[in-house]
Amino acid sequence: MKSLLSQITLDDWDTQYESFRAAGVSEPDYGGPLRRHTHEGDLRLLRIKYDPSIEALNLWNFLLTEEDRLHAARLNGKKIVGTMKDLGTVPLMAYALPDIIAFYPDGAWWIPCVMELGAGLLGVADSIGLDESFCPVRAMVGAFLTEAHFPIPDLLICSVGAVCDDFSAIAQRLNGLGYPIHWWEIPHRRHPDTGEPSVMLPGGAQAPVSQLEFVRSQFEGIKRLLEDLSGQSLTDDVLMASIRTGNRVRRLLKTLRTLTFTSEICPMPALELLIAEMLAIHFCSDPAETIRVLSGLVDRVRSRVEERAGFFGEEAVRIFWVNPVADLTAMNMLEECGGRICGTEYLFTHALDEIPEDMPPMDALAQMALADPMVGSAQDRARRVCNDLEQFGSEGLIISKIPGASHCALEGARIAERVQQQLGLPVLEIEVPPVCDAVKPSLRGRISALLELIRERRHR
Amino acid sequence: MIFSGIDAGSRAIKVVLIDQDHKILETGCADQGIHQADLALALLENTLDRAGMRRDEVQYTVATGYGRDSLSFADTTITEITCHARGVFHLNPEARTVIDIGGQDSKLIRLEQNGHVRDFVMNDRCAAGTGRFLEVVAQRLEIELQDLGTAAGHAEKPAVISSMCVVFAETEIIGLLAAGETRDNIVAGVQISIASRIASMAGRNIEDPVRFTGGVALIPGMESALEEAIGRPVQTAANPQFTGALGAAILASERGMKG
Repeated sequence: MKSLLSQITLDDWDTQYESFRAAGVSEPDYGGPLRRHTHEGDLRLLRIKYDPSIEALNLWNFLLTEEDRLHAARLNGKKIVGTMKDLGTVPLMAYALPDIIAFYPDGAWWIPCVMELGAGLLGVADSIGLDESFCPVRAMVGAFLTEAHFPIPDLLICSVGAVCDDFSAIAQRLNGLGYPIHWWEIPHRRHPDTGEPSVMLPGGAQAPVSQLEFVRSQFEGIKRLLEDLSGQSLTDDVLMASIRTGNRVRRLLKTLRTLTFTSEICPMPALELLIAEMLAIHFCSDPAETIRVLSGLVDRVRSRVEERAGFFGEEAVRIFWVNPVADLTAMNMLEECGGRICGTEYLFTHALDEIPEDMPPMDALAQMALADPMVGSAQDRARRVCNDLEQFGSEGLIISKIPGASHCALEGARIAERVQQQLGLPVLEIEVPPVCDAVKPSLRGRISALLELIRERRHR
Repeated sequence: MIFSGIDAGSRAIKVVLIDQDHKILETGCADQGIHQADLALALLENTLDRAGMRRDEVQYTVATGYGRDSLSFADTTITEITCHARGVFHLNPEARTVIDIGGQDSKLIRLEQNGHVRDFVMNDRCAAGTGRFLEVVAQRLEIELQDLGTAAGHAEKPAVISSMCVVFAETEIIGLLAAGETRDNIVAGVQISIASRIASMAGRNIEDPVRFTGGVALIPGMESALEEAIGRPVQTAANPQFTGALGAAILASERGMKG
């Protein structure tokens, strides 16, 4: 029995929430009506279309209460570590130690969207010379300077080297403003020379052993810092336990992605899946709760698949999406135009792969860091996109560029070229600013044209 | 049976009426404005009047163009990419590449043998490479838009416009005028600048034959500037500003005939 579900608006959520309450549906302690976040300035929520399930509500509430959790952690005497430009490794080291909570300051790049520029963070960044020629993640500096969002961390750790040039510049500016940062270097991943000892990384890329050893040495420095902060030793045992927790998150996300991308009818909208995927790198500052939230979503999605229930119908065009969007409503737009999400590569696919548990944990984390798509060649990234496109049966590719982001300048073209040549699939490149209302007609036109083109192909 | 295609562009609205054999019965064009739906409806009715037809005789209407979603009286909307492709294919089935330069955007569309869109690239974030550039230049040089081609034809040595931004290019034009450069040379330089933007957007994605559409294709000199920039022959489509509306009308007939 097929059942077509519909996304709901925030107004609908008010009614839906009351019905959940009346039915006695239990909620976590951060639960509550979604609308309350708009009273705190999260006005973009008024324009979003949502998955109507209680599990999706929990996801949103979990995301939108992270600042509360961080402030509560500070009051409870926990040490806060900001892990910047890190995609899934250093937080696992931090969470291995008691009384340390890690978070991802880069996540502030969504505040201008969620608050529809109301927080003025981009204006603060502009005022210190970080203008729109930089990635919207410059909002992070505004969040530090205003202290209106997250508490200032006790320790800041940031990768530098083969990561975004603009992010490094932003973080260096932050460092210069009196927020000292411990830098760790990630080298550009290169293919091993002939005969050079090499290692196959999770995700399929290869790297020289010497690079792996270098990254491991960088992690040893981070380990010592975290041990100094906590006053406790970061043993292999506790680190491996933390890795196992991380792997639980990754396995849940793998299940969620596979179910969503391969089901005949889409069982989960693109926006909620994007937010869920992001949990792999930051855990919303609570890994245990991340597992609970994701487990709920997996159960919900699995039951929808079993009941053949879902959104957008069987005719929805199956789109693979590359890069995260600065404006969350862009994911809704894909669906409004007649598409559905069928594969993603949000620049952290390595954080969705399981971390090896059959080797010393520091080696395993070094492998994962070196497997980051951002630190390798664009061709490595394109190869993985092609593999995933085939695996999920996507019909087309959208590459969403982030304005000002240095890694988006050329990679998109390389990925597009490879997908067109290897798979013959149509590709669309778009650019999504933090609040895209003014360019929505243009974005909608391009996405609609891509979907029209794909529908025509179906009839050939 | 009558079918209508309406292209609600950023600078102008175009209407094409066709019959079931795809014969063009009448066309109409009007400036775009704030009340897009009212303007488009008035143009449709005016065009029907001139053709001696009534609105209830129109079997199916497809709206396309930037303002298509505001035309609630249309039966459906289809993007200008698909409509331009269909319009060009109808006129020139052998065409493999369409270059469309409109008032505020430009696009390059590659076609399959059956006229379907293979892929496309589009510029709608920057006025360089669009008709808006020519409007700014015409205003600055105090010359009518339709006379730009004649002016460019009289150029002895096209001026070099180096800026990629229309606003800064305007500043360059002021500087060129101050330096005594002729108006004709400046216009020719601007045409070359627009054509080079298109060539840059197209990259290597051009297959012959190439057809040129959109309002800018009406301006003499642009076709040859494009040929020079992309290094291939370019032929302007018949009534190039109506190609999108024609494609919309043909798609309307296909959908209307299906019932």
